[in-house]
Amino acid sequence: MNDGLAGERQADAMQVVMIGLGEEKFALDAGLVREIIDPVPVTKVAGARAFVPSVINVRGNVIPLADLRIRFGMPQLDDTAETRIVVIELDLDGEPVLVGVTADKVYEVTEISQTDVQQTPRVGMHWKPEFIRFIAKWREEFVIVPNMERILN
Amino acid sequence: MSAMDPTEIFRQEASELFEVLEGALLDLGQRPDDRELVDSAFRALHTIKGSGAMFGFDKVAAFTHEFETAFDRVRKGEIKPTQELISVALAAKDYIRALIEDPQSTDDIIGEAILDDLKRFVFPDQAAAPVAEIVVAPPLAPVESKQAGWHLYLEFESHILRNGSNPLDLLDDLCKLGPCFVVPVTDGIPFLDEMEPEDCYLKWDVKLHAACDKDAIDDVFMFVSDEMKLTLSPLEHVEALPPAPLFQLLDEELTPMVAAPAPVEAAAPPVAEHPVAKAEPKSEPRPEPKLEAKRDDRGIATVRVQAERLDELMDRVGELVIAQARLTQLASSGSDLSIKMIAEEIERLASSLRDTTMGARMVPIGSLFGRFRRLIHDLSRDLSKPVEFVTTGEDTELDKTMIECLADPLVHLIRNAIDHGIEDTASRSANGKTEQGRIELAAVHSGAQVLVTVKDNGGGLNTARIRAKAEEQGLIAAGAVLTDHEIHQFLFHPGFSTAQTISALSGRGVGMDVVKRTIENMRGSIDLSTRPGQGTTVTLRLPLTLAIIEGLLIRVGEGRYIIPLSAVEECIELTAEDERSRGRNFLNVRGNLVPFLRLREIMSASGAPDRHQKTIIISTGDTHVGLVADQIIGNHQTVIKSLSKLHSDVTMFSGATILGDGTAALILDVAQLVALAQSKVEKQHISEAA
Repeated sequence: MNDGLAGERQADAMQVVMIGLGEEKFALDAGLVREIIDPVPVTKVAGARAFVPSVINVRGNVIPLADLRIRFGMPQLDDTAETRIVVIELDLDGEPVLVGVTADKVYEVTEISQTDVQQTPRVGMHWKPEFIRFIAKWREEFVIVPNMERILN
Repeated sequence: MSAMDPTEIFRQEASELFEVLEGALLDLGQRPDDRELVDSAFRALHTIKGSGAMFGFDKVAAFTHEFETAFDRVRKGEIKPTQELISVALAAKDYIRALIEDPQSTDDIIGEAILDDLKRFVFPDQAAAPVAEIVVAPPLAPVESKQAGWHLYLEFESHILRNGSNPLDLLDDLCKLGPCFVVPVTDGIPFLDEMEPEDCYLKWDVKLHAACDKDAIDDVFMFVSDEMKLTLSPLEHVEALPPAPLFQLLDEELTPMVAAPAPVEAAAPPVAEHPVAKAEPKSEPRPEPKLEAKRDDRGIATVRVQAERLDELMDRVGELVIAQARLTQLASSGSDLSIKMIAEEIERLASSLRDTTMGARMVPIGSLFGRFRRLIHDLSRDLSKPVEFVTTGEDTELDKTMIECLADPLVHLIRNAIDHGIEDTASRSANGKTEQGRIELAAVHSGAQVLVTVKDNGGGLNTARIRAKAEEQGLIAAGAVLTDHEIHQFLFHPGFSTAQTISALSGRGVGMDVVKRTIENMRGSIDLSTRPGQGTTVTLRLPLTLAIIEGLLIRVGEGRYIIPLSAVEECIELTAEDERSRGRNFLNVRGNLVPFLRLREIMSASGAPDRHQKTIIISTGDTHVGLVADQIIGNHQTVIKSLSKLHSDVTMFSGATILGDGTAALILDVAQLVALAQSKVEKQHISEAA
């Protein structure tokens, strides 16, 4: 990858992976995403915090599986044919950590334009504003760009 | 590797050489007539001096040089290595080590004091002689050439500055060989507009007025010899010499320092040979020519590998073992014969690869034992208890991380053995024992475990005193019936010490509990056995490796968990009677009351419990606890994976592993589980009381 080019692109557009959680659409920064895999058997971790209830095996690494739906107070649906696990790499307290995120559906990798970015409105939101980086527009719909570091800490 | 700081490499090498030196000196204390030991110590010294000078540790080189000079008399057989001399030599070794590792903390005065001591032993006839005389005496030998000096013409490649070499520094080094007359040759300098500011255009014409040999000059330019042209010719006539006495003094004092790099070549083999030296120290010293020849094949035979790379390799092998388990499971469920054959082949390869990789991480424990000889030497001197130290099984191999973890516990145990175990000389002879105490440090393989024992022939544990102390501290009720074994366990209690006075060495009551904790963290265990009047034996049982453990795979509800097999005592069935007794979770195991924990409750398992619940009795420390599970699946080779940061708040699990079907299973941290249950019970009691 050409760093200069990527930097230039960032100025007006951002590469994202569009995922669906319940009725909502979220845009995950594509730079964070390592891979997208089919659901695998999960192992429950007793005593863990509610939003990281289990661990999974991804290529021989045992990584936590986070459920954003719990963090956003949304109902948990059963796995469907469209359910996927998005593996992202986050920087938690200066250490890279791999985390799986359950998505009810993965739409596509796309670009959202920085000009479409809207500031998070203070009212009319039933989610904690600190979990949201910003809200953008995609195909005439509003999508949430979540702040993954905040959500998982 | 090329990016490694050369100074760091020197430090590493030096620390290995110190081990050799220390080992040789200590052996010499016992076998003063062993010529090979003297040679080995001398060679180590020589190498430290040589590479010290090469890497700019001038103080080290200077001090070591004087040390070497003094020691040379021992080598020549002119004086005997007495115990006193060995002690001073060890102090000198420590001083050199401090000079290399932490120069700020050292003081020249200490060094001089050590040297004075050394000289007192080595030159008893000229004890009052001024330092200078002694320094000058032996190094004169190599400076025999009658030559007046050298004429050098130096021409460097133009890019030399960009590689970080500075010709001026080299010239300074050259000046240390003797007075130099340096003339820069400027004819290569281009016009200003053609000049590259980072290029070197100067050449030098040097007249060196010193009767040093050619090697000394070559050594100065050792690192840039590929990037320069050095024309060397002997100087015939003497020009413009400084006054003779000054010249002589400079020459004689400085030649040895700068000439020092020369011996490096010859003395390098002991470094390469080090693993051998560790395993069988006696075979190490050889005449020089043989060493030279030997180095060639040894250079290929051993490779230095960074520890992280080995860790990484182990990780990959762990993954392979997991993948192979999945393949085997898949193949056995199908009917395809050829797939089964391949699966078997891969299983065989994976397991031999695992053994090889684990073998590569194995280090003989002798490298650790060596360190304690010094400790015992010093302790036995300080406490005036003569102690004979015997080690066996030095070539027993353990995972390198285990060796590192073992150092501290063993220091504690050995200190205890000398301080508390071995009696003083008077009471020993009163009891008809030899005056010299004996401490044995042994390592031996036993199945998948390594047993490390520290054995003394001292007075044994004073059970009555331990008991009195335990009662005094309120750990047991007065008059409680306890076996000796149970009483001895109090030694591992934090803050427990029977020593009447606190000495610098032990008696503070920290130590044994730390030992126990460290060993348990390594998934090992510790046993004590003692015979009054005959001594105490402490046995450490350790697993061979930390990366893969034997585990017991159990099922609780739908989840599967691993219990480290080393913690498992036995498995029994939970009878219907035990099952009903909800109020008091106790089992009757052959007359002993054992509390149990229902894993289904702890793991909040869903679904109906199995009709026949199983209990796994585990031991952590001296508490036995039963864990109730739905099913015991069987043994499992467990590759340990750590849990991520997001689960760092969950203490019940020490890690995770991957099962044959590819799902993750959690490894129970037995000690934490019991502690957690205990605190739960306490909370319950408090809330009930309120």
